[in-house]
Amino acid sequence: MSVVGRKNRTGLRFALALACTLLFLFPIYWIAAISVKTPEEIFAYPLVWLPGSFNFNNYLVLFRDGDAWSVFHSLVTAGTSTVIAMVLGTFAAYSLARYKTGGNHLSLWIISQRMVPQISIAFPVFLLFVSLKLIDTYAGLIILYTAFNLPYVIWMMRGYIQDVPIELEQSAMIDGLSPFQVILKVVFPMVRAGLFATAVFTFIFAWNDFLFALILTRSEVVTYPVQVTGYFGSQSTFWGKIGAMSMLGMLPMFFVVATMQKYIVRGMSMGAVKG
Amino acid sequence: MTSTLRNLLPAAVAIGVLATTAPSLAQSAADVAVEAAKKYAGTELTLLYEAGLQPLDPINLTGPMWEELTGIKIKVVEAPVDQLFTKMIQETKAGTGAYDILNVIPNQMPDLALAGALEPLDGYIEKYGYADEIHGIGKVYRENQMTVEGTTYGLADDGDVLLLYYRKDIFEDPDLQAAFKEKFGYDLAPPKTWKEFNEISGFITEKLGPEVHGSGMHFQPGNFQYMFQERFRVEGGKFFDPETMRATVNGPVGLKVLNDIKADIETMPKGVEQWGFIEMLNAFMDGQIAMTESWPPVGRWTAGYGRDTEALNWLPETKVGGKVGYALPPGGTPELAIGFSLAVSSTSKNKEAAYLFAQWMNSEEISLQRVQLPYAMRDPFRESHYADPEYRSRWDGAGEYLDALKAGSETGLLDLSLIQTDRYEEALRQAIGRLMANEDPQTILDDLAKQWDGLTDRIGVEKQKRVYADWASKPNAYPN
Amino acid sequence: MTRIFQFRYLILAPAIFFILLIGLYPFLKLLITSFQNITMFADDYGFAGFVHYARLMDDGRFWASVLRTVVFTAIALPIELGLGLAMAYLFLERVPLKQVFVALILLPTVISPIVAGSTWRLMFDNRFGPINQIIGWFAGHEVKLLWTVDTSLAWPAILIADVWQWTPFMFLFLLTALSAVDQEQIEAASLDGASRWRTFRYIVLPAITPVMAIAMLIRGLDLFRIFDIVWTMTQGGPGTLTETISVYAYQMAFREFDVSYSAAFALAIIVVLTGVVLSFLRMVEVER
Repeated sequence: MSVVGRKNRTGLRFALALACTLLFLFPIYWIAAISVKTPEEIFAYPLVWLPGSFNFNNYLVLFRDGDAWSVFHSLVTAGTSTVIAMVLGTFAAYSLARYKTGGNHLSLWIISQRMVPQISIAFPVFLLFVSLKLIDTYAGLIILYTAFNLPYVIWMMRGYIQDVPIELEQSAMIDGLSPFQVILKVVFPMVRAGLFATAVFTFIFAWNDFLFALILTRSEVVTYPVQVTGYFGSQSTFWGKIGAMSMLGMLPMFFVVATMQKYIVRGMSMGAVKG
Repeated sequence: MTSTLRNLLPAAVAIGVLATTAPSLAQSAADVAVEAAKKYAGTELTLLYEAGLQPLDPINLTGPMWEELTGIKIKVVEAPVDQLFTKMIQETKAGTGAYDILNVIPNQMPDLALAGALEPLDGYIEKYGYADEIHGIGKVYRENQMTVEGTTYGLADDGDVLLLYYRKDIFEDPDLQAAFKEKFGYDLAPPKTWKEFNEISGFITEKLGPEVHGSGMHFQPGNFQYMFQERFRVEGGKFFDPETMRATVNGPVGLKVLNDIKADIETMPKGVEQWGFIEMLNAFMDGQIAMTESWPPVGRWTAGYGRDTEALNWLPETKVGGKVGYALPPGGTPELAIGFSLAVSSTSKNKEAAYLFAQWMNSEEISLQRVQLPYAMRDPFRESHYADPEYRSRWDGAGEYLDALKAGSETGLLDLSLIQTDRYEEALRQAIGRLMANEDPQTILDDLAKQWDGLTDRIGVEKQKRVYADWASKPNAYPN
Repeated sequence: MTRIFQFRYLILAPAIFFILLIGLYPFLKLLITSFQNITMFADDYGFAGFVHYARLMDDGRFWASVLRTVVFTAIALPIELGLGLAMAYLFLERVPLKQVFVALILLPTVISPIVAGSTWRLMFDNRFGPINQIIGWFAGHEVKLLWTVDTSLAWPAILIADVWQWTPFMFLFLLTALSAVDQEQIEAASLDGASRWRTFRYIVLPAITPVMAIAMLIRGLDLFRIFDIVWTMTQGGPGTLTETISVYAYQMAFREFDVSYSAAFALAIIVVLTGVVLSFLRMVEVER
């Protein structure tokens, strides 16, 4: 193919990629626009496509009224549970991968735990947490998200660990490292990309959870998805607040995706074949 | 900060007045409550409130005021209105005692009482002599939104009623009046029947369209199901046969009502089937519709009342300030849609303190301030509210507004209330949704009747029959 | 040797403890409750036999919700897969600013389904949403499409929202899988004169099947349990048209507090779902 031809092909692909990206971004743009529009602009007809000015009042209101705390609550619960799940889950995955603990049955059982629909166990979990005094607490949500994410972490990390050549661990053991040190010093670095990829998806799951947060919180640790639904009223829909809260809830995600992007892709391609 | 200060001003004034006049007057219910509650100083009461604007009342005004007076802290937990019932039953079933004071929608009261979620209040009412001030509450609210089978479970706290709002300037336009009289033979005025409504709406749309339509309504099922309940009864419909407890919504009256609604929609702006409260409010405030039927806040907000407060700055500017008229909807018996009563949770650990707070909030003195809050969602519900000179002078049409509300509190129709009302309402909401999606009305009604009958069978025909009879025997269940 | 024996259980135990905490108690409670008779009004703890399961079998609304959910899954999954594949091919070759585009395209997947549902609900609003405006430009006149209220538009609306949110997820999986395919084999095949389609069918497809299977499993499961997007967009309406299994379950458990019935419902779903997934996994394991 001629050089010009190739350039055209690349140019075409670029245009298509751009179009694709814009298409997917449009709704996000729309919500962002809502969050900075004035009330008149939100309810204007015909539609206002570009906000006239950047009216950050909605954001200010969220911070002033304390609604913005919900983002913090989400950060704490999702972040902590992710860390715990990654640590416990990776060690557990090692046990399954290298020692084949529990054989096929155990791993299948663990995976099946992820298949449970949330709505099914919401009320029993509520009752359990009532008796353990975990309702509306950080501890409660953290325990819940950890437990819910562990099967996924174990499943994914098992695959990544199995990809690591066992000779590395064996030679480390010969060098005198304890099994624990082997995991920490040899295995962890090897599966770093997989760790990141799994951690990101684990965090996302906890961050975006709605149903459990709805059932298990009242007022102290309301997370941001629940906060957003509170703005849909019978006699008032606070679209401005919905927009601003949505954007606040998206920001950490943008950050995560932007910084972790290459790890995610690399991590997924590593574990891709084994799963 | 300034708006909070502004809102604390009435509290400061009230406290000042209380301090200077208390010894010389007989103790008001508010005072009694405060005095009795002081012994609970240092405790905390949790209040369950509908999320949105409603909680601003206890957060900005009554909570701090109460704490100042009694030393009891108030904590507010918010939930979207369709979550309130869920949260109350959830906590009751688990026996957590998480909430002390509840906001109960009156037609859910039987279910909540039956499920054991509410504490009977008669004992407290007697102990603290509240019966007197209860008499000051608007008749229909008082008689129908507080008791279940004779036991008092709640204090009616909100004068929710659906009024007709119309554009006075359009109705008073001489050219339009002449043309209308010529075409239809009667004067252009707020419609007394739904037939008139349709004629007026069509006329205005014809003359002033497409910028202005004759009417627009919030057809979203959650809102409109109340309007259907009202209109169905105004046209003579009965929900059930009292002997057999079979649903009779799918008779000729039901069909007529649905067809009439569709005919009305023809005169309304395109897409009205999807309108929720905000869309309707926006259309009216923007001058796009000449009539609508809705809750009391519409009357205040379209007049521009409270627009300058921070809590309401998400509202667009009203272009119809000073042009809004208030009337009872066609038929003259408006629906007392939704509403709220203050109740005490049966699993509360501070029942007496909770009751005292409720009594205090609901009392003549405090409730008057609450219903005048510009961002308030509590609508006037006491005789004294309707007559209050300060309220009546708040904006040009305020007197007329309060008169209409008062009329509504006398002739209003109760929301249907049975065992598991929510399930029946759910079926009704679904039927409305299907009507908006243009399905065949008779089919919709037949299915609705079938669903209702299925529910009645499962709940128990005899049980439901008794509850229905109890409800239907109330003077405001059906128009006379 | 005993040291290793203890070690492997030691590092596994905390994880298992957590999983059991949330997995075991609720499961047992559901089991027990499903044989009792607990409703909103009565807490009857006596043994009630299989009455709730029988009712479940007879419950038309339940089966309707199952049918709807299955049909929706069967439609959404191939669309997301196909679009994801197409996009993955697009980004496979050299594209300037590829990293930026990929990161941006991933955004819909990482936001809360609640936010996604709310956003699309607004987008589809007849008065305040841009979708109808855009369609109007193409149609040349104003269109009145009531997406969340019209029986023929409610499911398409939900479908569009879900495809928007999750195609990037499939795209990511497939991109990584495609990148891992052995380039030499492909070149050899095209040198031999094989068509693009044959190359895909016999070289690429087998190579990406394991990843595709995992992605389909995860997505299929999530579609089956879909709740957040449906809840914010239509709440299961109009009528019960978009009532999926989870939405109906929510109504039963948290609106009507038909606790025992919900328990039977929940168990039935868990059992069926687990069965389906386990057989799928066994199939995949066997193939490997």
